[in-house]
Amino acid sequence: MSEFTAITEEEFRRLCEFIYRRTGMVFTEAKRYYIERRLVERMSIAGSVSFASYFTRLRTDVDREIERLINAVTVNETYFYREDYQLRCMTNDLLADRLKHKARGETIRIWSVPCSTGEEPFSIAIWLLENWRLVDQYDIEIVGSDIDTTVMEKAHAGVFGKRALMRLTDDLVRRYFEPQGAEIWKIIEELRESVLFTPVNIVDPVETRQHGRFDIIFCRNVLIYFDDASRRVAAENLYENLMPGGFICLGHTESMSRISPLFSVRRFTDAIVYQKATGGPA
Amino acid sequence: MPLIRKSSTSPLPLLSGKDDVLRALFEGHAEERWAAARAAGGVAGGVKALGAALCLERDVRVREAILTSLTRMASPDAVEAVLPMMRAEIAAWRTGAIDALRAMQQAAWPYLPQLLADPDADVRLLACEIARTLPGEKATALLCGLIEGESEANVCASAIEVLAEVGTAEALPALERCAARFQGTRFLEFSIKVTGERIRSQTAGLA
Amino acid sequence: MSDRKMRVMVVDDAALVRLFYRETLGKAGFIVDEALNGLEALEKVLSEAPDLLIVDVNMPQMDGITFIKTLRRQEPPMAGIPVLIASTEAGPQDFAAAREAGANFYLVKPIDPDRLLAFAAMMCGVAA
Repeated sequence: MSEFTAITEEEFRRLCEFIYRRTGMVFTEAKRYYIERRLVERMSIAGSVSFASYFTRLRTDVDREIERLINAVTVNETYFYREDYQLRCMTNDLLADRLKHKARGETIRIWSVPCSTGEEPFSIAIWLLENWRLVDQYDIEIVGSDIDTTVMEKAHAGVFGKRALMRLTDDLVRRYFEPQGAEIWKIIEELRESVLFTPVNIVDPVETRQHGRFDIIFCRNVLIYFDDASRRVAAENLYENLMPGGFICLGHTESMSRISPLFSVRRFTDAIVYQKATGGPA
Repeated sequence: MPLIRKSSTSPLPLLSGKDDVLRALFEGHAEERWAAARAAGGVAGGVKALGAALCLERDVRVREAILTSLTRMASPDAVEAVLPMMRAEIAAWRTGAIDALRAMQQAAWPYLPQLLADPDADVRLLACEIARTLPGEKATALLCGLIEGESEANVCASAIEVLAEVGTAEALPALERCAARFQGTRFLEFSIKVTGERIRSQTAGLA
Repeated sequence: MSDRKMRVMVVDDAALVRLFYRETLGKAGFIVDEALNGLEALEKVLSEAPDLLIVDVNMPQMDGITFIKTLRRQEPPMAGIPVLIASTEAGPQDFAAAREAGANFYLVKPIDPDRLLAFAAMMCGVAA
């Protein structure tokens, strides 16, 4: 592996501007050392001998380099109760808002997409059971979807390791999981059976339309990987999949406002979320 | 257990059929026009209809859907449907068109030389953005060609903005000459300095 | 003069323009936040609460004039944030449109840094 000098100030700025325009992620001077290290790793793996050639590769997204770079610089580990401020927002504000528009006995539908290995949809389930005081008064349908069927199979199997459960109290682990051996737990059958897992490509309206409309969609940390056109189509598709007045939550570095004019921004105590207009035909 | 699982759900209705789509595109209310704009890419005569709708549609969301459909098609017809919007009265219509043309990449490239030579300075200014997706050498050649003959400071600024990202060493002489012509215009001096530094620093790296 | 640093949000889709603002205003002691279109700016204003906004007119998704009109319809204090428009257009109808929308000042591009600083200082209520 050849040695690289650190990139220059100007090269770093050029990279940051490109990433900001492309994904909305802001890289600041404060994170420069962190980013440079990972950039050098990527340059090495990609076989780029200079920043200029790497940047050309990045700009033209050769071999999905943008996705690879984003993965290298973000913490994309999935675990239970990740970004729980949004779960809090759901039980504190979003559900109350949705109930105003729902008939008695009408099911509440929540979509976790991408669901990856299942931590998110199961987190939603456990959080609701633990924190929503009205949870016994409504039927709640949770759907988890992903384009990657391998991870979805894992999600459906419901088996997790210690890191995935690290933010859960011992009490929650005891009540909702069964130990399977050394530092492996399986989510209890009742919960495992209650989440529906389906494959979906959110850029394909034919696939997204199959899922019907939801009250709340969690679509975290996937839109940043798309190019502009695909991102806009995905936003349109997800808009269609919301009930009027429904909410969509993105990852904390993401902003729907820069992607699409379709949604209104709603600022709640715990989170900023995006809402489809109420009223009018859907 | 309040959590329930349904094995299937009714899919959302899909607008289809050429006549229905095209009628809804022009005569429906906003949500219908939006759905029709999304579907129009898939019906015969869709591109022409989308181009016509683009000249009339005032709803921001429907406009976005029209442009997204055209962008996905990325054909010469789709490019030509969007081009007239570069001359629209409303600023957001012009910039929306540029976003779409930039996203259409290769399909829009053949039109660049004539856009960069357009008698209207606003068109030249906007057209620079489209060069952003070109390979560095081609973008540099086109944008430097523009800069050399350009008398409008803001058009030069727009070209330099793109060169800051994609410019190669070939741009340096043209940038120097531009700085000399616009001496005293401090924003341009700044842009040229930054862009020059970026280009020079990349060629000074390890070979 | 207040000890608190003044916060300026600059809204422009051109990276070099934002960099120019950041350097010019940053050296003068302002904290500079950025957005690249009007929609993103509206969202960021909710969390960043700037003392001043500098807004381009020609942006995708939502142009500067529409942005100001939307901003002025919000609740205070958001509705009252001073706005400086920066635009390539220099006709009387452009100035009038900006004024009607609720802009406080208008600068014609290419921006002169001294005028920028003078206006920013004035609108933030600090000595230039």
